[in-house]
Amino acid sequence: MDNFLEKLAYCIENGKINKTSPYPPNMKDQDGADELAKKALEVGIKPDEILENALIPAMANVGNRFSKKEIYVPQMLMAAKAMNSAMMHLKPFFQSGETKRKGKFIIGTVSGDLHDIGKNLVAMMIEGGGWEVIDLGVDVGAEKFLKAIDEHPDAIVGLSALLTTTMENMKKIVTAIKEKHSTSKILVGGAPVTMEYCEKIGADFYSPDPQGAVNYLKQLVSLRKN
Amino acid sequence: MTSSTFQFDFKDLKINSSRIETVLGYKEGEDRELVSGLIEEILTESKEISNIKAQYAIFHGVLFDNDTKSVEINNSSFHIKKIVFGQIKKSDSVAIFLCTAGEEIGIRSRKAMQERDLLKGYIYDVIGSEIVEAAADLMQAELEKSMLGSGKKITNRYSPGYCGWDVAEQHKLFQLIPDNFCRIRLTESALMDPVKSVSGIIGIGKDVKSNPYTCRICDLKDCIYRRAKEKKA
Ligand code: B12
Repeated sequence: MDNFLEKLAYCIENGKINKTSPYPPNMKDQDGADELAKKALEVGIKPDEILENALIPAMANVGNRFSKKEIYVPQMLMAAKAMNSAMMHLKPFFQSGETKRKGKFIIGTVSGDLHDIGKNLVAMMIEGGGWEVIDLGVDVGAEKFLKAIDEHPDAIVGLSALLTTTMENMKKIVTAIKEKHSTSKILVGGAPVTMEYCEKIGADFYSPDPQGAVNYLKQLVSLRKN
Repeated sequence: MTSSTFQFDFKDLKINSSRIETVLGYKEGEDRELVSGLIEEILTESKEISNIKAQYAIFHGVLFDNDTKSVEINNSSFHIKKIVFGQIKKSDSVAIFLCTAGEEIGIRSRKAMQERDLLKGYIYDVIGSEIVEAAADLMQAELEKSMLGSGKKITNRYSPGYCGWDVAEQHKLFQLIPDNFCRIRLTESALMDPVKSVSGIIGIGKDVKSNPYTCRICDLKDCIYRRAKEKKA
């Protein structure tokens, strides 16, 4: 049983999507994350075990290796794609409520800003951490964030900005959210953002990279449990 | 004010896969099988989809104010801050420039991302950035060439948003180039659309020189480019 999960985790970490995918070359014609997830369910491994013991730890390893500069963005993206192909098999269990994810995460690039690469990377790694991600896209103003929080009151919120000018809008959005939902946790990030700025505008957490955000969310969950 | 416009062909930029691989972080000898095919594919596609334009306008009689570290161009004052000021203060005229890779590459990047082909979307994005940088290099070389006859030299190029120069000053900068050949739209928040665009200033004069732009000048610590370089070292 463990063997399936170990293999699955290995495929995710190394970006092996499915049997036909050519990458990595040394795993040619072998089962990928797609097939292994399917087979794991078939032999009776529980979906939450697959999530907890293969998908999440594999993506955490990938995120940590990226933070430590051992791998680059392309490898991280390939791992995410492999993770996605396994996750597809778990989706029906999420929908039926049989398997629960860690929580919800709302993310968007703030108004006046159209950059989405960084935001997408963060969204993808948080999804790989076992969260349901609600991606509001780019150029998102306070109103749209507030509406999404109304719909998902327990969600944690992430804001991304790439210019110092749009960072100003980040401040407006944080203020608006905290006014209406004082307990909402807000994460901020993007090239010009710093911890100092995060504190100044009353946001809860800043991370220069996606893994820091995943770790922070993990902490929040264990705090909520206790 | 004299203005020159350029429409570059993708092949003029001489962007090859190894340059893109370096930007992605790969060092010599490292396996890059994951990306090399995709890069080739997107570079080939880029030949058709890029709409690479550049434009500069030269302004004479500019005034430098050492106290405020600012420069006055056509009655418009720019607070370029210490670092950029230091680089261009000996100029007797300046070129203001705009440059874009066009819209399509960004559209394709977003589309690939939406279809969950994240790696492809990312490589489109990185190639788009390299295109606009390479185009700006070419434009800069053209400007340099045009100065040869008069014995004048040029500085490196500097952009609002770098080295403490407020990115919002782009609004004034765009006003200096009313016939926007590159068709770049500037949003209220000073973001250029298409995203793969750059703007800035270049100093011109007999006593100026072009210094390379290094990570040492920049104060951004968590930069992917710095990451790539640190790893190399
Ligand atoms: C490549 C690049 C460009 C390219 C493409 C831009 C693009 N993004 O498409 C080009 C050459 C076109 C360009 C142009 C400009 N650029 Co530029 N550019 C960069 C550069 C070097 C990398 C950006 C990038 O793509 N990073 C890769 C992605 C994956 O990283 P990321 O978006 O930052 O996201 C990561 C983290 O920030 C974090 N993160 C992001 N969001 C979130 C959210 C949360 C919640 C969390 C936890 C984490 C998180 O996780 C991500 C993954 O690690 C940065 C410097 C840098 N190293 O960041 C400057 C930078 C963004 N540019 C800058 C500037 C100023 C400009 C220009 C205004 C210059 C000019 N006047 O021409 C223009 C503006 C363009 C426009 N459309 O308006 C400044 C912005 C700061 C400021 N002063 O406002 C920067 C920071 C450089 C600097 N040293 O100051 N640029």
